[in-house]
Amino acid sequence: MTTLTPITQEVIRNALIAGAEEMTATIWRTSRSTVVRETLDFSTAHFDACGRAVAQAARIPVHLNSMSVCLEDIIAGAIPLDQWRDGDVIVTNDPYSGGQHLPDLVAFRPVFIDGARVAISAAIVHHVDVGGGAAGSYYAGATEVYNEGLRLPPIKLVEAGVPNRAVLDIINRNSREPAMIAGDVQAQLASLEVGAQAIHRICARFGGDMLAEAMDAILNQSEAAMRAVLADLPDGVYRFTDFVDDDGQDAVDLVIAATVEIRGERAIVDLSESADQAPGPVNCTLNMARSGVYCALLSMGGGDVMANSGAYRPIDITARAGSIVSCNAPAPVANRMATGHRVVTTVLGALAQAAPTRVPAAYYGVSYVMALSAPDPLMPDESRVYFEIEVGGWGGHPDGPGADGFSCGFHNAANSPIEMCEILFPITFTEYAFIQGSGGAGKHPGGMGLAREWRLDAEKGRVSGSFERFRHGPYGLGGGAPGSRGRFLHMQGSEVRELPGKISNVALGRGDRVRLETSGGGGWGPVPSE
Amino acid sequence: MTQLRAAVDIGGTFTDVQVLDVPTGRIWDHKVPTTPSDPAIGLIDGLQGAVAKRGFGVDAIGMILHGSTIATNAVLERKLPKGGLITTAGFSDVLAIGRHMRKDIYALKAEPRTVLIPAAQRIGVSERIRADGSVETPLDRDDIRRAGEALAADGVTAVAVMFLHAYQNPMHEIEAAKILADIPGLTVATSHETSPEMREFERASTTVLNALLKPVISDYLQRVEAALSQAGVTAPLYLVQSNGGVAIPAEAARLPVRLLLSGPSGGAMAVRSIAARHGLENAVGMDMGGTSTDICVLQGGRIEETAGGDVAGLPVRLPMIEIHTIGAGGGSVARAATGALRVGPESAGAAPGPACYLRGGSEPTVTDANLHLGLIDAGVFLGGGMKLGAAEAADAIGSVAGDLDLDQTELASGVVAVANSAMADAVRLSLFEKGADPAAFTLMAFGGAGGLHACAVAEDLNVSRVLFPATASTLSARGILETDIRHDLTEAQLMIADANAAPVLDDIIQRLTARAQNLLDADGIDEAHREIHFAADMRYRGQAWEITTEWPGASSCAASGALAALISRFHALHQQRYAHSSPAEPAEIVALRARVVGLLDHVETSDETEAATDTGSTRRVYHRGAWQDAPTLPRAALGDVAAPGPMIIEEAYSSLWIHPGWTARTLAGGDIIAERAT
Repeated sequence: MTTLTPITQEVIRNALIAGAEEMTATIWRTSRSTVVRETLDFSTAHFDACGRAVAQAARIPVHLNSMSVCLEDIIAGAIPLDQWRDGDVIVTNDPYSGGQHLPDLVAFRPVFIDGARVAISAAIVHHVDVGGGAAGSYYAGATEVYNEGLRLPPIKLVEAGVPNRAVLDIINRNSREPAMIAGDVQAQLASLEVGAQAIHRICARFGGDMLAEAMDAILNQSEAAMRAVLADLPDGVYRFTDFVDDDGQDAVDLVIAATVEIRGERAIVDLSESADQAPGPVNCTLNMARSGVYCALLSMGGGDVMANSGAYRPIDITARAGSIVSCNAPAPVANRMATGHRVVTTVLGALAQAAPTRVPAAYYGVSYVMALSAPDPLMPDESRVYFEIEVGGWGGHPDGPGADGFSCGFHNAANSPIEMCEILFPITFTEYAFIQGSGGAGKHPGGMGLAREWRLDAEKGRVSGSFERFRHGPYGLGGGAPGSRGRFLHMQGSEVRELPGKISNVALGRGDRVRLETSGGGGWGPVPSE
Repeated sequence: MTQLRAAVDIGGTFTDVQVLDVPTGRIWDHKVPTTPSDPAIGLIDGLQGAVAKRGFGVDAIGMILHGSTIATNAVLERKLPKGGLITTAGFSDVLAIGRHMRKDIYALKAEPRTVLIPAAQRIGVSERIRADGSVETPLDRDDIRRAGEALAADGVTAVAVMFLHAYQNPMHEIEAAKILADIPGLTVATSHETSPEMREFERASTTVLNALLKPVISDYLQRVEAALSQAGVTAPLYLVQSNGGVAIPAEAARLPVRLLLSGPSGGAMAVRSIAARHGLENAVGMDMGGTSTDICVLQGGRIEETAGGDVAGLPVRLPMIEIHTIGAGGGSVARAATGALRVGPESAGAAPGPACYLRGGSEPTVTDANLHLGLIDAGVFLGGGMKLGAAEAADAIGSVAGDLDLDQTELASGVVAVANSAMADAVRLSLFEKGADPAAFTLMAFGGAGGLHACAVAEDLNVSRVLFPATASTLSARGILETDIRHDLTEAQLMIADANAAPVLDDIIQRLTARAQNLLDADGIDEAHREIHFAADMRYRGQAWEITTEWPGASSCAASGALAALISRFHALHQQRYAHSSPAEPAEIVALRARVVGLLDHVETSDETEAATDTGSTRRVYHRGAWQDAPTLPRAALGDVAAPGPMIIEEAYSSLWIHPGWTARTLAGGDIIAERAT
């Protein structure tokens, strides 16, 4: 049989997703650091032979929609596809070569059958620390990408099956957690091998040509599904503006502006009126901003659009080079999620005008990232990096209230069990609770934000954080009130100090407590009068 | 003489009974309708009917093994008492906060999450244990009394207590439970007793379920025991747990959460006992029903277990048989999505059901496709008990076929192919996680739809043997019949696995052994029938999830060299499962587990089957792109000499489709094996 039927297409699609799930299982089970193993900050996918994203395990939107643009940049620049050989693994973490920020290492492995490249397996993992000015490589004081840690241009980390030991050593030597990053990189490489095996299995059954044809058809199907979603929206031009609080340095109230034009089956999204790139590390590369736009538009299709390069085709995105959503090198980018989430909430705010009965008020809209560097309780001579991501409340929806304290939007993060953190790090938690009244009021109120508070039980530690919505609460819609603003408190005895939203290396002493309060979601619709 | 052992499995529709005559090893089955208002009525009916089939009275029953979905249904239908949760102050929301991850990543509306105890009934009290088990804040006894009284005054009858690090030091939980026990009307469950493992949310969830189920299961057991005694049954009763073993009623009432998810464990235990009957070490169970398919794995003669699962999204952190469930079943709906074909996970269920059920379903399902392809006989479905509409099935198939530019037969064949590939992918993933090669496994197919799809799934997986158990329609009861008493004990303690650990491990082993012996004493199990198997949950430092590594050899003394063997076994297992290991790196032990078994006597068994003859009939079936004639025969007519496919073997409640290129024969004991010609 030589022609592709919808049946073979579906069987191959299922097998590609199952292969990505096997890759996910590999990373989940073999990784070492809490950021990977508990917060599950990684994603896996399969690409076609020319580097178009086809099938992904359902994981983290920001990763999935940015891997494809990253690969486009690599093959258009540093390492063209004709230089990819069997057994190679190409990696980068360089934001200015397609990456996002330095902790995210993207890895691609071409799969060859009878000498021909038939697919590419990919895995992105957020590594616990790649050096730079602060633990977890979240350095709010950075003014250039050079301050943020080790930068790897696109490079063959494995060449024809032989790992480049020198590069692996360089990675380890530049991390505050060398054993953790070494284990996590190994887990990432193992997952690519598993992905390659899945592709081999599909080709053994259907052949490489059929796989190629099926991948084409899967991309076309996603494109058609996305076109149908866009055609469903009323034609028009919709504008919305939201704000990033600050860049951790001098700039405040950074405007994110989106003009979304729906024209038939297409969406044209213009981010040009957004603020200039900031001195501090809240900048997004264009790839990152594109990923945010894709995430917002994919959510209009619910589960009906399979997220891949086909779904991106009817979407045009423009931004101004040198702006916060398309920054130029060497702007610092570590806290780029501050702006990335805001791209999502801004585009959704515009789309709410096109689909007022479907789009909720703003979610908390930030990855509350906190990293503590402190001595290991078991081995006090060694220091440990405790890294966590928190979430807040969902916005009220036209159909009902927002969810309390639950992952939403651009990311999908798990929290770390308190008991596990207390075993691994010299900290004792004093509270983990919903904040009553933090959801924006409305006919359908926003969900509640969270309070997470702990005490340092070592002589000293340093805490860094990247937070948002401390100045601008998540917006309400249709007359609903905004959700609460977040706070980060440093408590020494009875003295309470409110810290800004982007901090690095704040010194803590024994018995000091820190408390993060996250935002509730915005409210939807006016509060009914009694 | 009390020579019979009876297994009763109460499902939603039917109560299945299997009876073993211990002296002869003969097994037979019986099926009666379930009586939902009081399941005990159906249970007694079933027992009486089953033993009467061979001329026995109920006084001949020496042991009753009972599986039921009563705990699961109570949770799914929220037929639970009003509950309360008492936690360490500052952490009463942990139960509702959960772990944050969502499944549907592009949804604009959050997927529903269940919180069984609302905020008003979650109370924090002053106490704190540190990670190392030391006390930071002593338990405030007045605080706990006030909390208990407030909950009781609020109408709460079941209270869960979850204090941080109670798995490490249960002192405060024990004290709290004592104080709460003095408050009239409260049933109490503590987290260290229910699930003594790190991770507060999962432990809280498990403990809450246990507290809420305690009154439900106690009431149920009282009713069953009363009904049994009224019917003159004096045999002891055992309850099936999710770990595949059984427990005496007192133990089931203490830890009823272990009955959750026990439904599929009967099927898994049947996979084990039937594989053992034929000397098979490795098998995959594929139980394909109307809405989903349950997959379990037997490796090296043991059913694979997992450290936890969930019911309706609520985590249950307990050792249990590992079942992977995927949304592919006979009722899975096929639809066209902008030029692509999708099958499931939506299911037409029993109502409206597949289009051919004539209950108003209009979307094509896997069952409609099988009917259209000639694999189901419209005349004899469910033993002739149900008429099927071929024309309705064709119409439903036609509507989707048109959207995809396919003819009806191509579409029907495609729907089956997609469902088959989804099942094969799921089986492969289950085996992948264990580092196992499918080719080394026998597929065991059962459930209403399993027999039609097994050969195709096997071909996809490169599996060359498929076993179709006898009495497949009461198979869960069959598995229960050959199980044993089982307790799981855990002691959590984090340590580096080196020489320093040996004395600590020896102490733990001693304590676990003493607890195990006490439990087996209470079960009335004599010395000769006791087994205690130790295992250590191990990982490399910093890894999230542990590998449960069996303790080597019979010796349970760490100092004797067993520890070194344990460590090298861990490295080898890590290599096998994850394709890498680091023998130079120290391993950590997180917890020690004891699998405590009270052996019930087992005999060699054979399933009774009735005789039938091959009438030489054939049916037109569509396979691999062509219509062909397939001989059709009743199951009992298949002999013990390999007969070549294609062939359809009819059973009362399902059919087996033996592909061309395969042969099938009946084995001793009544099971059928299909083998792929090489």
